[in-house]
Amino acid sequence: MKMLNKPAYNKVEETGKAYDVSRRRFFQLAGGVAGAGILLSACHKRSGPTDVYIGSGDIALLNYLYILEQVEAAFYTQAVTTNYYGITKSELELLTDVRDQEIAHREFLRTLLGANAIPAINTAFKGVTFAERTSFLTNATQLEDLVISGINGAAPLFSDTDYVVSLGKMVTVEARHSAYFRDLNSYNSFADSTIIGSTGLDQNNTPSSVLGIAESNYIVTRFDASKLPN
Amino acid sequence: MNFRNILQEIEKTDPDIYDRLSGRRHILKSFGSKVALAALPIALGSLFKKAYGQTSTAGIVYSLNFALELEYLEYNFYYQGNNTGGLIPAADLPGFQTIASQELEHINFLTSVITTLGGVPYTPSNYNPASNNPAYIPTGTYDFTAGSIFPTFSNYSTFLVLAQTFEDTGVRAYKGQTPVFFGSATLLQQVLELSCVEGRHAAHVRLVRRMTGAAAPDYPAPWITNNIPPIVALQANYLGEDNVTQQGVVITSLKDITGTIPEASATAAFDEPLLQSTVTSLIAPFFLT
Repeated sequence: MKMLNKPAYNKVEETGKAYDVSRRRFFQLAGGVAGAGILLSACHKRSGPTDVYIGSGDIALLNYLYILEQVEAAFYTQAVTTNYYGITKSELELLTDVRDQEIAHREFLRTLLGANAIPAINTAFKGVTFAERTSFLTNATQLEDLVISGINGAAPLFSDTDYVVSLGKMVTVEARHSAYFRDLNSYNSFADSTIIGSTGLDQNNTPSSVLGIAESNYIVTRFDASKLPN
Repeated sequence: MNFRNILQEIEKTDPDIYDRLSGRRHILKSFGSKVALAALPIALGSLFKKAYGQTSTAGIVYSLNFALELEYLEYNFYYQGNNTGGLIPAADLPGFQTIASQELEHINFLTSVITTLGGVPYTPSNYNPASNNPAYIPTGTYDFTAGSIFPTFSNYSTFLVLAQTFEDTGVRAYKGQTPVFFGSATLLQQVLELSCVEGRHAAHVRLVRRMTGAAAPDYPAPWITNNIPPIVALQANYLGEDNVTQQGVVITSLKDITGTIPEASATAAFDEPLLQSTVTSLIAPFFLT
């Protein structure tokens, strides 16, 4: 196998796309091996060769948010396609709005990242019955609240504050989504004590915690987030 | 490139430049001789980021007091509305009680932070609170009819229109203040969290309006579409909300499922900031002079 020259490798490392290289190398190694299944199953542990490297510093933080927005866009794309039983015209209109806003967030982050963007991820929404109103609304609320806590937790970790301005513009829209789905599930619960504490502040959580929750609940793809600021 | 001239030029518009760079003056003096010319832009960039990225404590207190002014306005609006018999339907009252109690929590939180920072917390003009509630000023400060323009506490639709406008404007005002806190991780996070709660309030009030059907069928959405105000008289509070360019990225040029992202989604997906001076003039009609 031809060795990659060093400058090219460094470039790949910096741009967070080691994934492409390492995965290709992995399959080249695994190709033709009868026990490929065993090799693949061995790669579910953290930082295995198939893990998608998300970069370091601001790139890692942006890719982390790009992961969350991909999850949201996929979640609502599914929700619109297999919308819940009894949905009204008004509710379908707003559900479609939310989907389109999450797509706008996802595409915005992907564009900001440019060549540093990780590939599209694979999602799986185990335990969500999209056709059932309460199941959808409960899970939509959980997802929105997770993303809100994730953005608020990530904001102070950025070096380039231009990104923080954009995140600030997005996070209150996520809060609008959460409030809407909460109200639909249980009227007047848009900011109740299950989510807003006695100081009147919304949630925050660290990138590693939020990514861990998102990975176990919504995502098939596995990430190497070893350089994600926290 | 003459580095000393650059500093002198900055000094003309920012007399505090040397104070902002305090402790770094010796570095500046050393630049001319010791730093290679090619490295100068990089060295300068990081130096000025440090100088301007950190707001002074006085600047932070000033910004928090501006937030406190808005929270007092909102709290007094809801307190009066919630205690006006016959205004808010029983089914909607719990929601407005939640909002009022959280605006009060914001007043207490901001007051506490400002005090901790050694600042003097804002109190409204002609501050003469109710004896049992230090955040409620029954008379002398506010006029929520804006000089008898709005039948605010006698017409539920009008109350909802103003509630939506106050909340959306609050979200935008917090966003405008965000850069003040770039150098203070905890406060930055807390200000974002405060703005999220305002966003939740705004979405709720908008949904209440949608459900009453008072404005139009299935209208408005819980988010701000383009720069559409609840009524024409409040257009100024929504100017700039139709922005479709974020960090140089034209959102309407990006792909969605069937084509490019429509303007409605591109604008609704981002809440836009408002300058303090703009917000101050927007809320001025609701204060007695």
